[in-house]
Order: sequence, then C-alpha cells, then structure tokens
Amino acid sequence: MQKSARWTYIPLVGIALCFIIPFLIMVFGSLLKMKIPTGNPLLWFSEEVTLDNFAYILKNADFIKWIFNSTVITVIPVFAQMFFAAVLGYIFAKKEFPFKNLIFWAMMAVIMLPSQLLIIPRYIMFSEFGWINTYLPLIVPEIWGILGVFFVKQYMQTLPKDLEEAARIDGAGDFTIFFKIMLPLSKPVIATVGTFAFISNWNDLLTPLIFTTSQDMYPVTVGLASLLTKEGNFGVEMAGSLLSFIPTFLIFLFFQRYFVKGIALSGLK
Amino acid sequence: MPPQNHSKTSFSKRLILNFKKHAIVYVFLIPILIHFAIFYLYPIGFSLYITFMKWSIIGEAEFVGLQNWINIFSDELAWKAIRNTVLFSLYFIVPTMALGLALALLINQGNKGSAVFKGVFFLPVVTSFVVISAIWAWLFRGTEDGLVNVLLQSVGIETQLFLSSSAQALIVLAGLSIFKVCGSTMIYYYAGLQSIPEEYYEAARIDGANRWKIFWKITFPLLLPIHFYVAIITSIGSFQIFDSAFLLTSGGPNYSTTTIVYYLYHQGFTSLRLGYASVLAYVLFFIIFGLSLIQKRYFGREVDYK
Repeated sequence: MQKSARWTYIPLVGIALCFIIPFLIMVFGSLLKMKIPTGNPLLWFSEEVTLDNFAYILKNADFIKWIFNSTVITVIPVFAQMFFAAVLGYIFAKKEFPFKNLIFWAMMAVIMLPSQLLIIPRYIMFSEFGWINTYLPLIVPEIWGILGVFFVKQYMQTLPKDLEEAARIDGAGDFTIFFKIMLPLSKPVIATVGTFAFISNWNDLLTPLIFTTSQDMYPVTVGLASLLTKEGNFGVEMAGSLLSFIPTFLIFLFFQRYFVKGIALSGLK
Repeated sequence: MPPQNHSKTSFSKRLILNFKKHAIVYVFLIPILIHFAIFYLYPIGFSLYITFMKWSIIGEAEFVGLQNWINIFSDELAWKAIRNTVLFSLYFIVPTMALGLALALLINQGNKGSAVFKGVFFLPVVTSFVVISAIWAWLFRGTEDGLVNVLLQSVGIETQLFLSSSAQALIVLAGLSIFKVCGSTMIYYYAGLQSIPEEYYEAARIDGANRWKIFWKITFPLLLPIHFYVAIITSIGSFQIFDSAFLLTSGGPNYSTTTIVYYLYHQGFTSLRLGYASVLAYVLFFIIFGLSLIQKRYFGREVDYK
C-alpha cells in the first residue's frame, strides 16, 4: 500500500475518539460529584471535581478485599501457567516418550471444549470437596492451560537442535538444559502466556460468580457487578470500574506487543 | 543363575538410565496428567451422567433417564434462548468483521502513530465486560437524560428505550460486544494484510488499477482464509455470550436477551436444575463442535501459525 496516506487520519482519529470516549466517561464520572450523570455532557464541566467517590469505595472495606481476592486468584495462576507452559512446552517440543502426540492432542481437544460444559460437574465436585467460597476452585484448575503449552511448544520447536546437543555433550541433563538454555531463550513467548493468563483471570466473571457466594470472597469483577445492581450511584460505579481497570491497563501498556503477537498467533478471542 | 541375574541388574539399570534420560517428563508430565484427569476428563464424563439425573445439589440425585433431553424440545424458553443467540450472532459477526477489516486497512497505511491507534482499538479487548458494561449502562439509559438519548435528541431523534426495550436490548448488547472484540479481529486482519506480497499491489498499480479495484480484486480475495477464520472464531465467541446479558439486562426484557449460556446459568444456579442445565451445556457444545468441524473441514490445512 502507499506509504503515509494522509486522508486516513480522518477516519482513524474519528474512530479512535469513539473508542476513547467510553474510557473518558469512566475517568470523568469517577471524579465528578454527581449521583446520576446529567444528560448533557457539556454540563459536566460545571460539576464539582472530587475524590469522594474513591474515598467512599475504599472505605467500603469489601472493595479492597475484592481487589485482594482478584490478585490472589490471578497472580498464582499466572506464574503457575507460565512455569507449566514452559516446562510442558519443552517436554512436548524436545522429548520423545510413548503416546506423546496422543496425549498432546487429547489435551488440546478436551480443553478446547466450551468451558461451560465443565461448570456444572465442577460445581458438584467442588461442593463435595468443600471448596465453595475458597480460593481453590479459582486457582487449582487454572494452574496450567493447553494454549500456553501450545505456544511454547511451537516456539521451542524452532530453536536449533545444536544448542541442546552441545550441552548434552558437556554432560548437562534435562533440567540443566531446560533451566539454563530453553527457559532464558523462551522469555518472550512465556511473557505472552503470562499476559494472557493475567487478563483472562482478572476479567473472568462467570466462574467466580458460581464458586463464590459470600461477599468477602468475591473478586473485583463479581464485586463490581454486585455494586452495579445495588448502588445506582454513577460516580461510585465509575470509581470502582476505574480501580478494577487500572491493573489491566498497566499490564496492557507494558505487554502490549506480546498481546498483539499472541492474538495473531493463537486465534483465541 | 548368573545370566538371569545379569539381565535383572541390567533391567533395573536400564530403568534408572531411562528415568534419568526422561526425568523431566516423569516429574512434570505425570502430575499434570493427573490434574488433567481430575479437572477435565472426569468432569466431562460426569457432565454426561448428570444429564440423566434430576439434581438440585441440596437433595439427592434422582435418575430420570432421558427426561432432561426430552424436556428441551418442549421448552419454549430454551428455543427462545437459541433463537436469541443466533440473532445476536447475526447482529454481531458481520459488523465485527467489517469494522476489524476497516481498522486493519487504516492502520496498515503506514501512518505515523499507527501503533498508538492499534493500542487504542485494542484496549477494549483487554478490559473486562464488567467495566465496559458499567459504562454502557449509563450510555444507553432508556430515559431522556441517557447520554446516547441526549445525542439522538440533538439530531431530532426521539428518546429510545434501549436496554428496556425487548426489540432493542439485544442490539445494544451486540454493539457492546462489537466494541469489545473488534480490536482482536483487527489484529488478525492486520497480520493477514502484512502477509500479502507488495509486488501484487505494485503490479496492479502499474496496470492502472485504482484503490477500490485493488481492494476488491486483490486484498479482499487474498484475505479469504482470514475471513473464514475470523468468522468461525467470532461465531464461537458469540454463542458463548453471557457477561453483558447478565450484567445489563438479566436476560430481559421479556427474555429478549436470554442467551444459551445465560439460560444455562439461570437453570443451573438460580432454579438449581443441574441436570437440565447440563443438557443445555451439551446443546452449546454441539453447536460449537459443529462450527469447529466446519473450520477444520474448510480451513484446517490453511491455518498458518507464524
């Protein structure tokens, strides 16, 4: 295509504004002292700016607990998923053992089934385990995922065999090769796996909605959803939305290039 | 006997050697296989068993045979949920593809700052449905002071009910989803556009083709695998729509936004009909499985994981 087609700035800026405005509404809404937004956006400029909404929501002790819960059920699976994606990726890419392909494709097939199929049997299982209203049902099933394994496997298959062979001649075993050679070389793809895991766990609504029933076990998605149905206060809702959005936004800023690469690679979502 | 003894030691020796050679496989793959069996294989099998049971989690499970499977055929709401989900897909898939392609074409022009635009269009993809729904709820308030209604009034269109109208609610939810995911569609198309060789365009330009002609004769047809891929991916996603229907409309008004997954959730966890909800999960599975088969059949060989 022609380099630098100037006219394209017009639609680009126009659409970009449409994309930014909802986020601006969130930011302004959280800062303005009004319960229900006045219809005419121009009137917003005459509204008083205040941090009361944030103060209100942070004084509401549950909200801090929700953020904490989200952090627990996100951070642990993120690191676990990165680790298992790396080590299983290595195993499936570089090791030979019986039924390797069968195991890999069975895992791919089963985990690619719609996740809603798992919700009810898992609900019954976890009720019997006594896991409802604990972190366990939100962490334990999430410690690895086949997509991350697939990413790392694909990536490691492209790494030259010589590296490994040279290390083996020097007497290195699997663990040394994995930790000293494969892991450092695969940092970008492992970061991709981590960013994906972060966003999907932090933003998940349906799973915690089912497995947590007591308010102080809610992650921020479910907590915010409960706020939306009962609060009816625009400023407070936007302050809550903004606070739950900030971690996602920061991760997005730092790891944007991985996301974009990962999305193009994975064909997910 | 010495030879037997010899073979015995060599067997255990071989076992140890074999373990050493594959230690990493045993140490990590075996626990993961057990995890896979407990949290994936067993629940999948168990879910089929549940479809034959009347089970409300509080009481005992009762075997009812095929009753749950038969009930679905006479359940008007189940059909309505399927119909709503198909309608949602119709509102959602083509606009998402068109907008994604348009955005990809725009950022592929080599403009300065295209990385920033890419980021802006991609931002909703990483934002939770809860946050976007919170904003959307106020944008599309069906009252005179709703923000979109104020804008409509300023161009002379009367106040719309939006989320409280059974004719409009599903369309508003589709709009929300388009906004949420067209950024990822853009990325697929962008990757596709980048893989089209520059020579094709040069040759066309030398032949005097204009932009419009180049788009329809070269770009669009060469993106055919991407079109197909994106169509399947977005339709699989659209059949699983839940969050916005739960957050903004609770399936209403008049069940107009009761989607398959919302209905499954409602049957399972509000009405506590776990057996029946499992049948609904299978309905969803059959639909998505069908879509995946189409994908494999027509596209499997062309998937190019670069």
